[in-house]
Amino acid sequence: MNRFAHWLAKTSSSHTLRVHESWLIPGVQSIHIIGIAIIMGSLLMIVLRVLGWAGTDQTLRETTERFGPWILGALCLQFVTGLVMILAEPVRELVNFSFWTKMVFVAIGTTLAGIFLLRFPRREQQWNTFVNGRSFKSLAIVTFMVFLCIIVLGRLIAYDHIWGSWSPATTGY
Amino acid sequence: MPIDTFLKSVEATGFATTIRDSIWMFPIIESIHVISFTLVVGTIAIIDLRLLGLASVRRSFRRMSSDILKWTWAAFALAVVTGLMMFSTNARVYYHNPFFRTKMILLVFAGLNMLVFELTAGRTIQHWDSAPSAPRAGKAVAVLSLAIWIGIIFMGRIIGFTTHPGSVAPPTPGVNYDNFLLPPASGTSTSGPSGTGSSGTTPAPTPNTPNTQ
Repeated sequence: MNRFAHWLAKTSSSHTLRVHESWLIPGVQSIHIIGIAIIMGSLLMIVLRVLGWAGTDQTLRETTERFGPWILGALCLQFVTGLVMILAEPVRELVNFSFWTKMVFVAIGTTLAGIFLLRFPRREQQWNTFVNGRSFKSLAIVTFMVFLCIIVLGRLIAYDHIWGSWSPATTGY
Repeated sequence: MPIDTFLKSVEATGFATTIRDSIWMFPIIESIHVISFTLVVGTIAIIDLRLLGLASVRRSFRRMSSDILKWTWAAFALAVVTGLMMFSTNARVYYHNPFFRTKMILLVFAGLNMLVFELTAGRTIQHWDSAPSAPRAGKAVAVLSLAIWIGIIFMGRIIGFTTHPGSVAPPTPGVNYDNFLLPPASGTSTSGPSGTGSSGTTPAPTPNTPNTQ
């Protein structure tokens, strides 16, 4: 992976991205942050609805239909802007403990969000007892917490040294 | 400059020093800052889109704002607290950073924008509460709000790029940036903020420069 990252860094597209570094990298990072803001706002609404703390004038199905597409759309945005950031700074991202841990959480978080958005609403009738049950509420909270971890790990990419020997510690960052 | 004296004393507090000298505290505080402002912006965007008639158009505006805005304010409070914590670690650097200043001005604009809403469309909510969108003034406020918050995010991100070693803005006369960003150069007169336990001649270099992008 280290070798791949260094090779990627030498490619012309990576170089082009870095030449415009002064605004391009913070610009793409900002879009990435706007994407997570959309996800967090929407996810909060769904979780609050599941818990019955907000949006109780709407059914769970109405709530997921309102916010689900935004989460899925923003996840696509995150994927694209994330790829651009990897291409721009391959070594910073790929040779990084926080990055790979974040990817594990992204996989878990996306799966959990997918369960909420794609599976449950369609079977709301059959799942009624479950939807009102405690385990469903716990699942909503766990999903939210996974996304909190994703944000923390995303920010820690810039501070990978705090993991000590777990970090493949690239010098210069 | 009295303000720099004050900011320097902020940096010298035990509170700021503890954060600065810790390897993990600043990154964690910054992460909590990101979590809280993403919730602020995400929930505000939901309200703005409702005002514009682009989403949640069948829901009562009053019901939505009373449901959502308390969470927005709670998250905003957390963002302010974590923001002040980060500010305290290198107060002078942030204070003199043009992007930090722009961000603060934009935050004031966001507040004024809210005030404009209260004085215009906010006064007639009962007439459009269940209409699919707000009157023109409300829509204008919503567009401005989205633009301002996107600007705030960009400014916040760029602060991290302009306050790390090597890319610090040109120094303002009388302010020594180098001391708290880089290991002390020879012949500098003011002492860095991390000189708590050091002898005075060689202030300890800050173990973690907070602003690693």
